[in-house]
Amino acid sequence: MEMLDAVQGARKTKARGWRRLTRAERREARWGYAFIGLWIVGFLTFYFLPMAASLVFSFFDFELTRPDEATFIGLDNWRKLLFEDPRVWQALRVTFTFALISLPIGMISALFLAVLLNSEHLIGKSLFRTLFYAPTMVPIIAGVLIWSGVLNPTTGWINQIIEAVTGLDAAGPNGIRWLNDPRIIYLSYVMIGFWAIGNAILYNLASLQGVPSELYEAAKIDGASWLRRLWSITLPMISPIIFYNLILSIFGLMQYFEVPYVLNTGTGEPDGTTYFYIVHFYRQTFQNLDMGYGSAIAWLLYIIAITITATLFATANRWVYYAGGNR
Amino acid sequence: MRRFAILLLALAFAGAAAAQTQIRWYVGLGAGSDVGVIPVQEEFVANFNASQDDIELILEIVDNDQAYDVLATQIAAGNPPDIVGPVGIRGRNAFPGIFADLTPYIEATDYDLSDFDPALVDVYNVEGEGQIGIPFAVFPSYITYNKTLFDEAGLPYPPHAYGEPYTTWEGETVDWDLAAMRDVGMLLTVDANGFDAAMPEFDNNNVVQWGFGEQWTDLRGRLAKFGAGTFVDENGDAIIPAHWAQGVQWLHDAMWVDGWIPNAPYSGSDFLAAGDLLASGNVGMVHTHLWYQGCCMAGFEDEWDLAAMPTGLTGVPVAKLHGDTFGITSASPNKEAAFEVLVAMFEPENMVTLSEIYGGMPARESLAGSYIASFGENNFPDRDVDWSVVTASLGYADSPSHEGPLPAFRDAEQLYIAFDQRLNNEADLDVGSELALLQAELQLLFDSVR
Repeated sequence: MEMLDAVQGARKTKARGWRRLTRAERREARWGYAFIGLWIVGFLTFYFLPMAASLVFSFFDFELTRPDEATFIGLDNWRKLLFEDPRVWQALRVTFTFALISLPIGMISALFLAVLLNSEHLIGKSLFRTLFYAPTMVPIIAGVLIWSGVLNPTTGWINQIIEAVTGLDAAGPNGIRWLNDPRIIYLSYVMIGFWAIGNAILYNLASLQGVPSELYEAAKIDGASWLRRLWSITLPMISPIIFYNLILSIFGLMQYFEVPYVLNTGTGEPDGTTYFYIVHFYRQTFQNLDMGYGSAIAWLLYIIAITITATLFATANRWVYYAGGNR
Repeated sequence: MRRFAILLLALAFAGAAAAQTQIRWYVGLGAGSDVGVIPVQEEFVANFNASQDDIELILEIVDNDQAYDVLATQIAAGNPPDIVGPVGIRGRNAFPGIFADLTPYIEATDYDLSDFDPALVDVYNVEGEGQIGIPFAVFPSYITYNKTLFDEAGLPYPPHAYGEPYTTWEGETVDWDLAAMRDVGMLLTVDANGFDAAMPEFDNNNVVQWGFGEQWTDLRGRLAKFGAGTFVDENGDAIIPAHWAQGVQWLHDAMWVDGWIPNAPYSGSDFLAAGDLLASGNVGMVHTHLWYQGCCMAGFEDEWDLAAMPTGLTGVPVAKLHGDTFGITSASPNKEAAFEVLVAMFEPENMVTLSEIYGGMPARESLAGSYIASFGENNFPDRDVDWSVVTASLGYADSPSHEGPLPAFRDAEQLYIAFDQRLNNEADLDVGSELALLQAELQLLFDSVR
């Protein structure tokens, strides 16, 4: 009965527009604000204000070591960013080129492995799941340093194995230069990226386990093949998670920094192929200490990220299936 | 009544403390932030504070990884420390313009600089900024050679004294120059089949031991042995000194043609300890600074000793020098008091104590000899090392310094590091045209900040 009254009250309220809250509702609201208040203060202090400050900085000639000499220069940093600094476009080109190679490989691999790990025919599922997730627990810098040893042309075990198996001259100074050959550098980075694929596998796996089994059973009765079930049931049902992984992967790639900075020292070598956008941002902001220009670089990335995200959300209705009908 | 008296006493002490000038000493840009050396610095601070009532010295130690960012943030926030150091020439270049000119304080106190090498003092006299430091600890460089490998190859050791000739394995006496070093380096370099680099059967794709290497330095550091130089001339234009251009080709040939210096694929490998060449035990001669002996040679088991740098392409040997100093920040409101602290730090007994924990040799000439003898006794009591090479190398320091300032330093540094990576990685590099490209890129950069 109480529930019915509440629903009717809500309907009346909706019809009238705003209404006064009861004392109990006000008390509840106060507690609600109290609970989210700390988060709001944290958000304003540590996210919103620094972001707003960085937008202001982007209109200043502001060096970190000379704060007293900061001067308003209008759009000069933005003009330099968009029209005068060729390294910006080089860095964007590198970032997007790598994203185009890495994104599909990473997404498909994570999905493929999740499907395998979800297979009813797989023996030792828990072991495999743990093994695939375990590298994610290794700190990224430690992982990158391990890879630098693995990919070393002379003593790295990948070249050693290739040489042992094929008999080719793969190891040594004339061997395969995983990190110094512009033709294969992105392949090496993609390989290193597999190290951190555990999270995406986990999300996909959780999503796969949420697909109602009666859908598969019905499809089997109708004679649908495994591929058909994957295409018509699995992929649509887990498309929200694929969408989520896609967004996270794009953000991750736009902030791709540790691997090129540690393995190729942030110089862009070989042949500028590792000069990623965030490397350029880091060099300008934290090495040259040019906070004004660095802020403009960061804001351009933010604008690009927001544009891509908005585009993806705008098109999501066409390819992402939400069982409840809502995003 | 008694409580009231105690309260008055406490207030009086508090007032006295408040009257003291607080001087913040920031440690982290160079040595000094390792756990083991912190107590010694704390002891200096405690002794200084106990020795007088006017200044309260406050020690701020920041881990080296964060020290650059923290200092930049403190300066940006209008809260800079008063004293920064120990800081090397390179660390100082990362913060151009933040250090005050000490000349007025040196003159006002009539500070005696006669115990310091004038050339060394001049290293800290930066155009447009003044005398931003006084040399505190110095780290000469020289050849550290692996006697075990020389003995295995049956080769005579390189000379210890500058100007002394080298006697080859055939008994011939030759000048100790780059050509002589190449000859002995080729004989020390061995491939997996046991052929040395002077033999026609030698396989440069399968080397297991090398003749020579540079311990942890950049391109400018590697080029210093050919002769002192810089990438910028007096007009602010980019230059590649002729002896450096020649030196670059020499290095490329040594790595990719003769194979007696490890190239990048080798030097990052496990059997060269991922770049710690000397510690790997597979390199015969390594160009090191004194700090390397301090930091990294305690566990090295092979027999080793020190030798003179060979004569470079300019006709003189060059032993590049690293140096540490302490600077007073331009923004410090208490520069006079900070200079008083510096004077205390530079007192001979304090200089010896602090230099020792920073791994350097005191910059006071009167302290150098005795210090280096005790350095050997304290750190390598069971080794028979000719430490006289260290003090002798001080006389062949590079001027201009290989760590000297460049316009748009960080960007310029990235350009020559990228060039160095190509040099070390590409067997078929066209050295001449790549050098021309480097010069053009540097010129563009220098023009952009003119």
